Amino acid sequence: MAEDVLKRLKEAIMTYDVEGAVEASKEVIKTGFDPLKAIEQGLGEGLKVVGEKFGAGEIFLPMLMIAAQAMKESLAILEPTLAKGTSRKVAGKVVIGTVEGDIHDIGKSIVAAMLTANGFEVHDIGCDAPTSKFVEKVKAVNPDIIGMSALLTTTMPKMTEVINALKKEGLRGKVKIIVGGAPVSAAWAEQIGADSYGEDAMAAVDVVKKLVGK
Amino acid sequence: MEKIITVTFEPEGRRVRVQPETSIFQAAREAGIGIRTECGGDGTCGKCRIIVKNKSVINEVTDAERTHLSEKETDSGYRLACRTIPKQNITVMIPEESRIGARKIQITGLERPVPLNPSVKKFHVVLPKPTLSDVRPDFKRLLDHLADAYGLKSLEIDYEVLKKLPDILRDADWDFTVTIWDGHVIIAVEAGDTADKLFGLAIDIGTSKIVGYVVNLMTGQTASIGSIENPQIMHGEDVISRITFAMAGGEKLKVLQKLAVEGINDVLHEACTQGNVDSNDIYEVTVAGNTAMHHFLLAIQPKYLALSPYTPAVKKPIKVKAKELGIKIHRNGAVYVLPIIAGFVGADAVGDVLSSGIHESKEISLLLDIGTNTEVFVGNTEDILSCSCASGPAFEGAHIKHGMKAVTGAIEKVRISPDTYEVEYETIGNVKPIGLCGSAMVDVVAEMLRSRIINHHGRFNPNLKTSRLKKVNNIPEFVLAGENETATRKEITVTQKDINEIQLAKAAMFTGCSILMKRKNVKRKDLDRVFIAGAFGNYINPENAKFIGLVPDVPTEKINFVGNTAVTGAKMVLTSREARETAEILSRRVRYIELAIDPDFSQEFTRALFIPHRDLDRFPSVKEHLERLE
Repeated sequence: MAEDVLKRLKEAIMTYDVEGAVEASKEVIKTGFDPLKAIEQGLGEGLKVVGEKFGAGEIFLPMLMIAAQAMKESLAILEPTLAKGTSRKVAGKVVIGTVEGDIHDIGKSIVAAMLTANGFEVHDIGCDAPTSKFVEKVKAVNPDIIGMSALLTTTMPKMTEVINALKKEGLRGKVKIIVGGAPVSAAWAEQIGADSYGEDAMAAVDVVKKLVGK
Repeated sequence: MEKIITVTFEPEGRRVRVQPETSIFQAAREAGIGIRTECGGDGTCGKCRIIVKNKSVINEVTDAERTHLSEKETDSGYRLACRTIPKQNITVMIPEESRIGARKIQITGLERPVPLNPSVKKFHVVLPKPTLSDVRPDFKRLLDHLADAYGLKSLEIDYEVLKKLPDILRDADWDFTVTIWDGHVIIAVEAGDTADKLFGLAIDIGTSKIVGYVVNLMTGQTASIGSIENPQIMHGEDVISRITFAMAGGEKLKVLQKLAVEGINDVLHEACTQGNVDSNDIYEVTVAGNTAMHHFLLAIQPKYLALSPYTPAVKKPIKVKAKELGIKIHRNGAVYVLPIIAGFVGADAVGDVLSSGIHESKEISLLLDIGTNTEVFVGNTEDILSCSCASGPAFEGAHIKHGMKAVTGAIEKVRISPDTYEVEYETIGNVKPIGLCGSAMVDVVAEMLRSRIINHHGRFNPNLKTSRLKKVNNIPEFVLAGENETATRKEITVTQKDINEIQLAKAAMFTGCSILMKRKNVKRKDLDRVFIAGAFGNYINPENAKFIGLVPDVPTEKINFVGNTAVTGAKMVLTSREARETAEILSRRVRYIELAIDPDFSQEFTRALFIPHRDLDRFPSVKEHLERLE
């Protein structure tokens, strides 16, 4: 029975079945199954497989988006039931958001879902996130990594603003910074003094793993 | 390793990658684009004229070119293709005169007749000469007559006209024609009866194209049409990159303004030449365009259009003098810029609504103006909702491996046999194909789903047995036309990635439709009419548009293709003051919905990524068709 629900979660993600994943997640709650295990060994495993297919060029963005959406909706059901202070073995903590002035949510959410699938504790501060929100969240959760997304050339300068604000607060040395989004490049990352750049969601996961030294 | 250079040809939007030291002429051959030549590229005939705006990425003008091009021409970017060598990635415009074959971008649109009542009117006047017993001032004499004869009151006179009025009236021997703009300003006084020489210009500034109608304001008929590529393209293909360019400060915004004005003047020149109209007989220009184009033309700071919450500087219509902007119509002519609805629903969208007439009917309409940004409207005479979707340029050929715009040489229709996978296609201009345009992409996705080459996730069937299916760099491609069939002597294919690009584009549009319908509480069956506007709209197969989930599944007879309704909307406000009033009311009344903040947005979007949709029940006719195939 227990193995069955894990399989269902994993397969729902792998077959891009949003409803299936949501249904299976509700089942997890109803049956009192360990939600952490459901996230890590069910959903997470499924999304990892999807991510690998994406990385290998077997599938493209739309399918990855659907799988990430299924993950996101399932997490919304499972995460609130995680016991406070659950000793989840996390690969690292990430604060992620789309910078102020920019309401593009999807790319950033895929990265967040992929990081979750790969064992990171992800704090998604959403889109159109003011610089102060990044700083506050960093103070509150003490992350290893900050991920910033911008999909407009007009909002890219906000990334610099966040980095400067972190410097001013003496926080810059405590976190690694990764940037991404369609108009963002490795050269831009270097120019603004970020630590790295993720070409796509899979690359972002690899980069974050490297940055935390795992 | 030598650097590969990408050459982009406009207006096709065709891209080709070439070795360094390749001439533009050779690059055009590789891209399958016909450029005129008599000497075959020897630099002697001077026929292969092209325009390159960014001179820093090409070689210096050669002596051969100096013999064929004037200094003024080379200054404005004219070169000979066979003598031009790009050093970096480059965008080249091929003007009409250098082009083999015609193009077919949609520049006309649905027109609804309106009672003729233009904002500029002419009155032929014969006045009694002043005498010692009648010493009324000249202007007073004119005003008294206009009040008596036509009931015109509270008139003002343009200062420039006033300065010369005494001479003009006497030189004309008191027989003259008065032009009145906006019901109250005298903008011209001309000798004799010129009342039949009254024209206007309706313009739509699109992100990629500027279209203009010269309209006879005595009859309301279009005299001629002109169109060119928007010359701002050299500062970015899309709105956001142009705003970024303008944000760099200095004179950058002025540069964009100047280019918009030059573009309008070029269109004006072309249309006037064709229609044999004197540009001095054009007294008013009405301008539609998206909000960014609107701000660029008026040199209004566009920065905040590209930053959340994306607010425009102004909504109201703008009236300025043509000479203030540098538009070369009558020296005292006026410009009326249509009002806008929101940051991403501009004056062009006001034109769409006006032309389609969805605001006048009790019937519930869905209207899409498809472009890089697709505007969507749902509503009727009671209430209209609007939104803008970032659909991207895939339907205009960008980001598609063999994509191009709907011009000569583009495959525009495709059929695929579900049994043999054999392909039938039609090409614009009946020539050998060089690529495929948006309408063909719609057909391809539908036909590939019908013949099970792809599944409803958009994934290629790996077990398909046909020589048309191949893998390039491990990515599956389906061959539409073999190398012996094409003008490029290379295969034209559709790749897995192309299919996914179309999924993203159509999902964005459909999400706009479904969220507006939800907000308006309108069900698919409640839709009485669906209008599709835009540069390629007329050539889309409506069955296939439904089949891939681009528009809701409504009976095909409810779908109307209306073409470029932005420019016809501009024409309506040019010929009718009532339409102008309606445009102003619409700009205030049409409600703007920000899609991205709708709680259902990401869910709706991801569901719409499926072909036609995750919920097949929303597409019963497609569902039935697919079940029949089982």
